[in-house]
Amino acid sequence: MEKELRERARELLESGEVGVVIGYGWNRRKRRTTPVFIRKPEEAERLVFNPLCVNNLSVYLTRKYPDIQKLGRAAIVAKGCDIKNIVVLMAEGQLKRDDVYIIGVRCNGVVYRQELWQGELRPEIMPVKCHNCDVREPHVADTVVGEPVLFTPPEEPVGMVFDKIREIDAMSPEERWQFWMDHFSRCIKCYACRQVCSLCYCERCITEKNMPQWIETSAHPRGNLAWNLIRAMHLAGRCTFCGECERACPVNIPLNIINQKLVLVVKDAFEHRSGYDPDTHPPLIVYDTEDKEDFIK
Amino acid sequence: MEKSLLKKEALQKLIDGVREKGGRFVAPSILARQVVYREVDCADQMVHDYIVPRNSIKEFLFPQTEPILRFRLMREGVEVEDVRVEPERTVFFGVRPCDAASCGAVRKVFTWDYIDQFYTRREDSSVMMTIACTSSDDECFCTTVGVSPEGKEGADLLLKETVDGDYLVEAVTDRGRAFVEEFKDVFTEPDGAELKAVATPEPIEGVNIDNIIGFLKDRSHYNSEIWAELARKCVGCGACTFTCPTCRCFDMVDEGTYIEGERRKNWDSCQFDSFTLHASGHNPRDTQFKRWRNRFMCKFNFYPVKFSARGCVGCGRCIRVCPVRLDITEVMIEVSEAARDV
Amino acid sequence: MEDKKTEEGWEPKIMAFVCNWCTYAGADLAGTSRMHYSPNVRIVKLPCTGRIDPLFVIKAFENGADGVLVSGCHPGDCHYTSGNYHARRRWIVFKSLMDFVGIHPGRLHFSWVSASEAIKWVDLIDRITEEIKKLGPFMEYRGLKK
Ligand code: SF4
Ligand code: SF4
Ligand code: SF4
Ligand code: SF4
Ligand code: SF4
Ligand code: SF4
Ligand code: FES
Repeated sequence: MEKELRERARELLESGEVGVVIGYGWNRRKRRTTPVFIRKPEEAERLVFNPLCVNNLSVYLTRKYPDIQKLGRAAIVAKGCDIKNIVVLMAEGQLKRDDVYIIGVRCNGVVYRQELWQGELRPEIMPVKCHNCDVREPHVADTVVGEPVLFTPPEEPVGMVFDKIREIDAMSPEERWQFWMDHFSRCIKCYACRQVCSLCYCERCITEKNMPQWIETSAHPRGNLAWNLIRAMHLAGRCTFCGECERACPVNIPLNIINQKLVLVVKDAFEHRSGYDPDTHPPLIVYDTEDKEDFIK
Repeated sequence: MEKSLLKKEALQKLIDGVREKGGRFVAPSILARQVVYREVDCADQMVHDYIVPRNSIKEFLFPQTEPILRFRLMREGVEVEDVRVEPERTVFFGVRPCDAASCGAVRKVFTWDYIDQFYTRREDSSVMMTIACTSSDDECFCTTVGVSPEGKEGADLLLKETVDGDYLVEAVTDRGRAFVEEFKDVFTEPDGAELKAVATPEPIEGVNIDNIIGFLKDRSHYNSEIWAELARKCVGCGACTFTCPTCRCFDMVDEGTYIEGERRKNWDSCQFDSFTLHASGHNPRDTQFKRWRNRFMCKFNFYPVKFSARGCVGCGRCIRVCPVRLDITEVMIEVSEAARDV
Repeated sequence: MEDKKTEEGWEPKIMAFVCNWCTYAGADLAGTSRMHYSPNVRIVKLPCTGRIDPLFVIKAFENGADGVLVSGCHPGDCHYTSGNYHARRRWIVFKSLMDFVGIHPGRLHFSWVSASEAIKWVDLIDRITEEIKKLGPFMEYRGLKK
């Protein structure tokens, strides 16, 4: 597949169809992969694709990166789950379909706990999203590389995140509160979760609005709770469960659980799944006069 | 007694002793599936098989958020009250030599034009029990920046693990000696304990720190194209700076209600776009690679040149934590190379 | 302002975020009609429920509210046509989120109250005041280190 990938990238750069190919390359010790920006055809050799390619590179397509936009039209190496984020960016008017050339990569899953990687993809080291993935065959792309993947996701989603959600749903309010406070109190307000998320593209985040200071910047439980609630809320109906935020969180706050909870809420209430159709509006900017309101008294 | 032995069974006694006297005992421990330095009250909470904890010890000396004054609106005007830190003694156990070495650098900044007592008082009332490393990983590169995995820099006591899991303790400073003296019923005679081998990471080939400093000092390189090439992938998450032991930038905010509140000193990061944002809306570091360039400059130019200190102690945290794997050592190699070329 | 659960005579503080055109007018009508209802509510008037950011609710809790009420025009009656439809979607998600992190559902209420529904307003306030009273002061939130 890498041969195909590099060839495609080389052609795109040679023909001038794109100015940069955003993809994955090896790090110095060849044990991890890292984003690379290929601008010359001969550099296409640096591109790799393997289960260590966890990053969701779509973040580089957002308006936060004017310097990357200056490199010209971009081609991006994207797994199905990464493409979901690109689709949301399109649905939200951040990108036009023609702005980006999507090199979809067929995928068998990635490695979440990279320290356990020994050259073989095992279920235990894969994230929950991969076990339930219905886009291993990229769903929106200009070209697709790799061997066809035979995989049918389970009918009911499986994995730790879903188990945990059920567990929390069954808890009393006091227990839930305790569970989340234990986690949120560790937050160090680094905003890594926001920075890696391609859907957090606001040039000025609400946390940076200080007239008045809506969210306290100090890392104390009260401000941390406000931040984590608002982050989740701002991603509701948009988050694709790509898992980048949790992966980036330096203190292991289980953001996937809260994100997925809202994914389920949105699916249930508005029958919306984000990241599949660039022409459907995100659910929270539209409405239905028949939306449920049994809780409004 | 320059050398003594700390038996692993005696750790609890040491913890109790420190705590009874009102001190806190900070040691590597597990929290949310990670090894972190944190306050412990029981030896069972400690871990002994770790490389570099996720956090650095700086959060105990330079807390992530701390009040520096309090204010209250009174009928007569605003009443302002200073906050004076009277820190308890903090015993840091199991500090890695790189972390201990970082304190010297941070102190230089906090005592440069103004003595920041919030920092100095805390550091002065701490006891640093460094443990020499017996394992290292791909990301450790202390030896490349001149720190030794059995180095004494910043340590009050240097501990070395014995094959039995005890510690051979060497007093490095007077504070360390006094500490051993104070708890002499905990420390015992060393009597020829056999030591575990120290793990020494290979210095990274192709890195020359002097060349890097020289390259950075030359202002003509400030706008060199290499910065965009090397740091374009940075997403500005700030995780590197928050976990880095020598990063010490902070921001001041007032928090509270309309009638009373506190002025707080909170960690900040040069990787955030608002770090250099001017009130006018102009931002001199308007793209992410420029912010990353600053981080590199800070470590290998500002720290050594302005403060005669080591800005990077090679702990490798910024590499481990970076979501895009922007590896500072790769940049060090490239810049060393660029320096050779000019 | 240290009030304890056990303290006699404790009264809950309830923040109400209401739209200007319906609920505020309804509450006003209750007032001018001299109807009696629990004095525990502090009303913040906003142009429309569409303007009520979830952050307002969080801020209210941060500042010591024991309960929050959000209310506006009935569906179809919004002065700005669709503000309340948008708000309703947001509330569906926000309510689930607040539930999920352990904020007792009895502390966060949503309602439609029109300009003529003074009686509904009175009943609503009395009912939620009772409910929040039973839950006691929101010590968990107020006790968060800050
Ligand atoms: S979620 Fe699907 S496309 Fe994404 S990494 Fe996992 S298997 Fe691949
Ligand atoms: S919130 Fe997290 S999981 Fe959702 S899209 Fe953003 S990075 Fe991905
Ligand atoms: S990445 Fe984690 S620690 Fe950082 S702000 Fe987000 S939740 Fe908090
Ligand atoms: S720059 Fe990186 S390696 Fe150097 S001291 Fe900081 S975190 Fe450690
Ligand atoms: S300027 Fe940046 S790199 Fe230097 S100490 Fe501050 S945050 Fe760290
Ligand atoms: S951790 Fe990596 S991505 Fe985040 S600011 Fe540092 S270098 Fe940039
Ligand atoms: S004006 Fe009342 S809800 Fe919009």
